[in-house]
This record gives sequence, C-alpha cells and structure tokens, in this order.
Amino acid sequence: MLQTIAAIWDKYGYVYIQGVWGTIYIAVLTVLLGTVLGTLLAFVRLLPSRILQSVIRLYVWILRGTPALLQIYFFYFFVPKYLPFDMSERACIMMALVVNASAYVEEIIRAGIQAVDRGQTEAARSLGMTARHTMTRIILPQAIKNILPALGNEFIVMIKEASLASIFFIVEITSAFKTVQSATFITIPALAISGGLYLLLTTVLSFFMKMAERRLQIND
Amino acid sequence: MIDRTKELIVVKDLHKSFGSLEVLRGIDQTVREGEVVSIIGASGSGKSTFLRCLNLLEVPDAGSIVFDGQELTGKKRNVDAFRQQIGMVFQHFNVFPHLKVIDNITLAPCLEKHMDKGAATQMAEDLLRRVGLYDKRDEYPTRLSGGQKQRLAIVRALAMEPKVILFDEPTSALDPEMVKEVLDVIGELARSGMTILIVTHEMGFAKRVSDRVLFIDEGRVAEEGTPEELFENTKTERCRDFLNKVLY
Repeated sequence: MLQTIAAIWDKYGYVYIQGVWGTIYIAVLTVLLGTVLGTLLAFVRLLPSRILQSVIRLYVWILRGTPALLQIYFFYFFVPKYLPFDMSERACIMMALVVNASAYVEEIIRAGIQAVDRGQTEAARSLGMTARHTMTRIILPQAIKNILPALGNEFIVMIKEASLASIFFIVEITSAFKTVQSATFITIPALAISGGLYLLLTTVLSFFMKMAERRLQIND
Repeated sequence: MIDRTKELIVVKDLHKSFGSLEVLRGIDQTVREGEVVSIIGASGSGKSTFLRCLNLLEVPDAGSIVFDGQELTGKKRNVDAFRQQIGMVFQHFNVFPHLKVIDNITLAPCLEKHMDKGAATQMAEDLLRRVGLYDKRDEYPTRLSGGQKQRLAIVRALAMEPKVILFDEPTSALDPEMVKEVLDVIGELARSGMTILIVTHEMGFAKRVSDRVLFIDEGRVAEEGTPEELFENTKTERCRDFLNKVLY
C-alpha cells in the first residue's frame, strides 16, 4: 500500500499539488468574498428596518436549509443562462460557494455582535458616545473575539466544501483523486493521498487559528 | 460655582411601561444643582427605571424631563449631547474590557468632545490618582477587583465633566469588603458639590450623604424627605414596612 502510494505520488504528485492549489484558491476566495458579503448582510440586518431584516432572514433560511451541492447546480445551470455576459464554470461554482458562505458568515457576525454584553452599549451611550462610535470602538473590537474563531471554522468547512467543485471537474484535491484514479485504476491509495492532503491543510489551519485565538484572549 | 437654587432636572408626570407592566406611574421630581438624592425601594418598584429614564436609556411613554432648562423628551433633540452632561454608573460596572484603564477614561472625551489626547491623558491621570488607581493606568480591567472596576467606572463618567451623575445600585454587585472603597469615592464626590442621584440599598450611606431620600413604591414616589424625616419619622406604612425589612 505504502509503496503504491509512493509510486502514485512519484508519477502524479503534480496533479495533487495542482489540486491543493485549486482547493486553497477556492477556499480562500470563497471565505474572503463570503466574509465581505456576509458582513454587509449582518450590518444591514442590524439596521432598524423590518423589511430588510426579513429579506436577509429569508436569504439565510434558504441557503442554510438547502444543500450546497444543490445551490451549485442552481448557479451552474441558471446563472450563465440569464446573465448578459459569459461566465466560466469555475466562476459560477465560486459564486455559489460565496453566496452559501455569506449566509453562514452573516449568522456568525450577527451572533458575535449580539453576544457582547448589553451593558457595554449602555455604558458607551451613557457617556454620550454616538451609535457609530459605540459600534466601531466598543462593540466590534469585542465581537471580533467571538467572530474570528467561528470564521476560522468556516474556513475549514470551505476547504472541504470545495470538493463539491470536483463534480464539475474544477481542479482541486478531490478532482485530483478522480484524475489519478481514472488514469491508473488504483482507487484506495489514490484516495488516501487526497485524504492526507485535506488533513494536512485543515491541521495547519487549525494550528494557526489556535495561535490567533490565544493572542486574542490575552486580555480576557 | 454651584447654585443650589438652580433646578437642574425637572421631571413631570413620568410614565413608563414594559408591555402591559406599568413600571412608572407618574413621577414628579425636581433636583437642584449640588443636591444628593438617594432613591430607595423594593426591587421591581421602578427606581432603576426612573434613573434610566433620566438619560433616556429607557424612553418614557409620557411626561417630560427638563434638563438644565432644555426639554430632554422633545423631538429633534440630540440625545448624545445630553448624555455627555449626565454621567451614569452601573451595578455591573460595564468597564470596557478591551481597553486599558487609561483608555477607558480618555476614549469618550477624545471622540465626542474632541479633547486633545495629551490633555485627556493628563486629566485621566489626575482622576486615577484621586481614586487611588494611578498605578493601574496601563492594566486591562480584567486585572482589577470589583471595587477597582467600579472606581474606574466612576472616573470614566467624571471625565466627561457631567453636571449630574446617576448611580444605579453601584455597590450591589460588589463583594462586601469592597463596598466601602466605592462608597468613599461617591461620598467624596457628594461633598465636592456634584449633583448625584443614587439608587441604593446602603441605607447607612443614604442617611449619611443624602440631602433628600425618595422612597419609590409601585412606580410612584410614595414618600420623600430629609434622611431624618424618612428614616426616623417615617410617615407611610409602606415605607416603614420596607425599612423594617432592610434594616436589621
């Protein structure tokens, strides 16, 4: 088994390396754009407009209540048809993953902000601080400590969720397995390499997350 | 200069409900400059709500509050500008845990009064010396005891140079051995001429420092008077009952 793995790696290592880069590319971009979109949604939801709040609640409800794979199919078939410009398959899938991530990120950020003790807002406002300063100088710096760890978890989820793109043969780690498997007809060792690479990525990421969390907790 | 005849806060017929629960049922009060007013009463009587209405942390349903000649409850008012003049100290301190002690104090004056950082730091250091916390200036609040946090909360409020400070049960969350250090600071503040409204269960303290004591019961001021009048010549049955329960 180990010999087979070594042999496959010798010959097809570059396919896996490409896959790793593909996964990192998809995950990083999805998390970044998903965070931007999710943050925006979280702030809109904190505005005192009932209509906007309902719209976002509906958005989150749909995206968290249906499988990401279904959403990818939707974007894959639907979006290119109705957009006035061409979009690559990869862009469609990325878009689906970004939209999906944004719903989770919205919840993470909103929960992180609401977890900050109400007394903090009251203290800031009673000093005469504006609502804006209260948010930027008092609430957000504390909410970050709740938000970052959860966002890190979302990153790990995205690394794994990127594997859904393999269905459409977008280059990433699971696609690499499919490529190697169909070229060699060796399944388990080829799969083991992909699994090992996922573990490597998620473990390294968890390590950095723990470090970041420890630094954030210094003042707690 | 303190003008003890000046009416700083005039409250007329203040009403406040939470849902179907009527918490304040018409409060009329006038607080003069330099006056120290203690508010006592059973929990749920509305005393904290009354205090929180005075800086609009709770928005009254009806009635008016005039602060320093200006209608607080009117439309188009700048709430933030009013609040800068009305300090508040909370039961649970609510110090800012992500800021150093010194920055807890300087943040609001720098942001909202556009005070120069150097001047604000100077003022904050003076305030910290006054309450014996100067050596903690670069610590984070997590390193402080409850009593120290509350003293920090008091000077944080003072840094905005308010015309009145509202204390909402400032010693109720403290360990017994830390109550005195906080009461000492409030007492010193009272003697310095600061206008103070304090909701408290510390009857001895209320007796010592107050010019006037209000007994609130079921959303109304059921009895009021000087500490002697209220504690020694209690007129109403309800107030006597309450005092019998808390003074043992």
